[in-house]
Amino acid sequence: MAIRGTHDASARVKPKESFDFLHDERVRSAFYQLLTAGVVGWLIWYLVTNTAHNLEVRGMNTGFGFLSATAGFDTDFKLLEYEPGVGTYGRIFLIGCINTLLVSFLAIIASTILGFAVGVLRLSSNWLVARLALAYVEIIRNTPLLLQIIFWYVGVFALLPRVKQSLDLSAGAEVAFLNNRGLYTAWPIPGDFFWMSIVAFVIAVIGVFVLKRWAHKRQDDTGQQFPTVTASLALLFILPGMVFLATGSPLDWDVPTLQGFNFAGGAALPPAFLALLIALTIYHAAHLAESVRAGILSVNKGQTEAALALGLRPSRAMTLIIIPQAMRAIVPPMISLWMNVVKNSSLAIAIGYSDVVALFMQTALNQAGYAVEMVGMTMAFYMFISLSISGLLNIYNKRVQLVER
Amino acid sequence: MKPTSFITSVAAIAAMTFAGATVALAKSTLEIVKERGNLRCQVGTPSPGFYNLDAKGEWYGSDVSICQAVAAAIFGSKKKLEIQSVSSQVRFTALANGESDMLSRTATWTLLRDTQLGLDFTAVNFYDGQGFMVPKDSGITSALDLKGATVCVLTGTTTELNLADFSRVNKLNIKPVTFEDSNVRNDTYLNGGCDALTNDKSGLASNKAAFPNPDDHTVLPETISKEPLAPAVRQGDSQWFDIVKWTVYALVGAEELGVNKGNVDDMRANSTNASVRRMLGVEGNLHEGLGLSKDWAYNIIKEVGNYGEIYEAYMGGGKLGIGIARSGSANALWTKGGLMYSPPFR
Amino acid sequence: MAIVNGEKTAARSAPLTETSFIGWLHKNLFSSWINAILTVVSIYIIYVAVKGIWVWGVEEAVWVAENRRECFKISKDGACWAGVIQWLENIFYGRYPRPELWRVNLGGLLLVVWMAPLWLPRVKNKIFIGLSTVFLYPFLAGYLFAGGDKGIFMQVVVSGAIICLIGNTLHTIIGVFSGGGLPENLTRLLGKTDASDQNQRNTLLAILAAAFVVVFLLQMGWTVEVVPWTKWGGMFLTLVISGIGITSALPGGIILALGRRSRLPVIRVLSTSFIELFRSVPLITILFMATTMFPLFMPEGFVLNKLVQVTIAVCLFSACYMAETVRAGLQAIPMGQYEAAHTIGLGYWGTMGLVVMPQALKHMIPNIVGSFIGLLKDTTLVSIIGLFDILGMLRSISQDVPWRGLHKEPLLFGALLFFIICFIMSKYSRHLEVKLSAGANR
Repeated sequence: MAIRGTHDASARVKPKESFDFLHDERVRSAFYQLLTAGVVGWLIWYLVTNTAHNLEVRGMNTGFGFLSATAGFDTDFKLLEYEPGVGTYGRIFLIGCINTLLVSFLAIIASTILGFAVGVLRLSSNWLVARLALAYVEIIRNTPLLLQIIFWYVGVFALLPRVKQSLDLSAGAEVAFLNNRGLYTAWPIPGDFFWMSIVAFVIAVIGVFVLKRWAHKRQDDTGQQFPTVTASLALLFILPGMVFLATGSPLDWDVPTLQGFNFAGGAALPPAFLALLIALTIYHAAHLAESVRAGILSVNKGQTEAALALGLRPSRAMTLIIIPQAMRAIVPPMISLWMNVVKNSSLAIAIGYSDVVALFMQTALNQAGYAVEMVGMTMAFYMFISLSISGLLNIYNKRVQLVER
Repeated sequence: MKPTSFITSVAAIAAMTFAGATVALAKSTLEIVKERGNLRCQVGTPSPGFYNLDAKGEWYGSDVSICQAVAAAIFGSKKKLEIQSVSSQVRFTALANGESDMLSRTATWTLLRDTQLGLDFTAVNFYDGQGFMVPKDSGITSALDLKGATVCVLTGTTTELNLADFSRVNKLNIKPVTFEDSNVRNDTYLNGGCDALTNDKSGLASNKAAFPNPDDHTVLPETISKEPLAPAVRQGDSQWFDIVKWTVYALVGAEELGVNKGNVDDMRANSTNASVRRMLGVEGNLHEGLGLSKDWAYNIIKEVGNYGEIYEAYMGGGKLGIGIARSGSANALWTKGGLMYSPPFR
Repeated sequence: MAIVNGEKTAARSAPLTETSFIGWLHKNLFSSWINAILTVVSIYIIYVAVKGIWVWGVEEAVWVAENRRECFKISKDGACWAGVIQWLENIFYGRYPRPELWRVNLGGLLLVVWMAPLWLPRVKNKIFIGLSTVFLYPFLAGYLFAGGDKGIFMQVVVSGAIICLIGNTLHTIIGVFSGGGLPENLTRLLGKTDASDQNQRNTLLAILAAAFVVVFLLQMGWTVEVVPWTKWGGMFLTLVISGIGITSALPGGIILALGRRSRLPVIRVLSTSFIELFRSVPLITILFMATTMFPLFMPEGFVLNKLVQVTIAVCLFSACYMAETVRAGLQAIPMGQYEAAHTIGLGYWGTMGLVVMPQALKHMIPNIVGSFIGLLKDTTLVSIIGLFDILGMLRSISQDVPWRGLHKEPLLFGALLFFIICFIMSKYSRHLEVKLSAGANR
């Protein structure tokens, strides 16, 4: 002990710190950072001045004034009011963005459902089904998406019937038709008091949440289960339904009818939209299926065995024990897959669906010029969407990390 | 890291940044082309009649012939040519950037493009116009019957604008179905995905010829737009502009004067026609203003042929032609009722 | 008291469910009625798909014809493979001059010869071989493909690459047949095994220098014809773009990943925003940016051709994706490794370059192969810009006047080609993954 005392660190004479300018940690880190910032700053300045000079020399137009100029072309799919020769380029941009978001949103939902289904089928005890799922996953994952989109567009819509022989999807009710020009469905036109039904529906949804919490608490306290699903469904249907009838059924349907060349009325989805939706769904579902499979396999086998030993049926064991644990491994790749769906929807350009790239960065750019502005705006749009989705991922990761012990 | 390597890395970065900043001196396009030893001519992605790839990987087509003619005028050989193919989205920027020396592709000459994209259109080498094709059994005989019809159209071209205009002016409420790929457009049309197909009439002819049953389809008589197709050059080099323009005129002029690939040697040696002698460089000094050699026009005809020969080979009934009749169309010579007319060679 | 059965119980045969075909069927296909329905549905799906493909693609197909009309005349319901067959050279090599095709083939062959030692078990110094593939092979192949006059830089690099290739091959042959490597065997051959290390090294360097001079003099007379980029195309171009993309992505990705994990805030912020910028937008917008905006960035008179523009775009894109792969690899390295490296006095670059990166890279190989597959598939987008990569070529067939309108068959052929290539690579990467993780668990 005494020996240690003599060598006490505080008692030791500190060597005089010679301030070596070149080798000092702080000086160097500051220098590196300054250098990097300087180089990057110079590079940006250099590019900007070059661009400005080149634009001037080539007599090309600049500025965002074109957004309020009228565009002379039409688009076959739009959710906003627009008329060629009246609508502006700004509106074209909005239409493009909404179209991108619409197809991505639907593809995300569909591919998530299909991906989970296929991922589970990959682990099926049925040899043939497992093999078929494997073949699907391998074929889809190993060919370029661009080829697939073109394939669906060319191949599948060639098989659909012509307008005059449309398939009636509503089995004789004549409200939904599928033909090689797309999907036509009836579209609701709300009446005066329709908002009351919506309010009732919202109340019902809140009611379901309350019910669920109460049932959960009751199960925790007393061990008794409550038929939540049946009760929720009843609540969801009966309450808005009664309000709807009480206000006098204020809803009309705009039904598509065959007039001259085409169906008129109702809502129509063009084939390019459907082809893109199918291609994106199938492609990303195959990728998600692999993540799901890996996620399920990552759950310890003992968990399954324990669940089965408790007397749970295999399907219940899957939904109550395995999937919730696998989610931790599945969700991060799934969310980055969602980002990919949004990004890959830009391949619509190959089949002419009016997404933001095809409509704004191609057609509008071709008609009006303004390359820098248009490419910049399109990239900014995608960046905004992607960063929002990855923000979602970060929130999820934080929550999962909190749960971890 | 040692201080020495640290300083060298700084030096290296500095050296790299300044190396990239060297600026080439401004030269005329002709000088640049001659120095490089070949002509960079930009065409589009393959389009029947105008520019196509064959199974050997060689380009052929009427617009390719224009490129070859310019190369022949400058170098005396049509082989001194580098053909660049660029998709329609970036066609004008590639010319404006100086990646190519000229643009010979189906670009419609419009006021906006001529004035706002930094390029100049030279002389028209093909007069096209937009029309409609419908199945024969539809019973449609006029474009005005297309009320409420869906029409297949390629995106990002003037075709799309013309269709919108036509529909608006005639209150037809036509629904466009846009495509990026002409094959997909044609397949959709063949499968009844749209009631009519619109395209430049040259394109309609070549599409029709490729259908399994060409006789089941008919092209409607209306031409709803003017599509003068002309080679274009960058703005601001009038000598280069003249060279390309007069190359087109030489092709047309040779046909007017009856000079063709087969008889050009004979014509140069024996012709007594003063116009022919001036054009082929036997008399006068017409080449001086262009900055080319005396036999520039002779080289064009010798290497490529005259306008009529090119038309026959790729647009008309030749083996690689797409079968568009010339007589009676705007592409016939002015002496035969068309619009093909060359200013005099004097 | 014990009852002992003196005789051995005869082995019972395995239950019927385990051995017979019927048993297998019952267990794997018809274990419950849901499974039975699934099986029947699956069989029906397979039957319809296979039959349709067979009839259209093989039974009714036309293999030999002069043009599409002729195909129609022979069979209207079948595929017309004749066009694809006639275009095969275009599909694989693009417009590359036909007499010069050997250069492309040789380039491919060299890559195989160069990289083959990496898979042979008895060869040493694999890291050196791997590095030389990344840093020297591209120059040799690049010259072989592009041709023209060699500048002094190109001459030096090409000579270096040739020597390296010869050295690698000799080293491999020696390694496989007798064990050991080229350097040891050379020393033995010269009878200098007993000489000092310094002496040995000097001798080897002298041999290397002599070889370099010889090769340098020999290659001066060797030139090949220029093939401009406009003639590159088909599968060849696809592989070149994705190859350059993945090789440049590795150093770029490592730098960006280190930048993102750096303690210096300015560098971290810049790297992070660069990575996120390129990862959050689709490749097609980056390609558009490259073709419409890069030329505007350049000083006046400085012209980049389309291929260079597109390649830069692909490199930036893949570097940013690689950065995330590298980052994931770095995160897997336990903190103890860093601390241990610091303890023995290594600085930042020493720690990263000698300790952390080699371990991380080894574990990243499967992911890198995966990225390459992704990049190969994504490269088809350059056809939208108008380059004649494999997809561009496949789509051009339908515009060639004799084959006008032939577009389904080429696309299917392309899909099959991609499937074969990507499937093999993905199987390989999965195999590597298993192998590497087995090594780690041992």
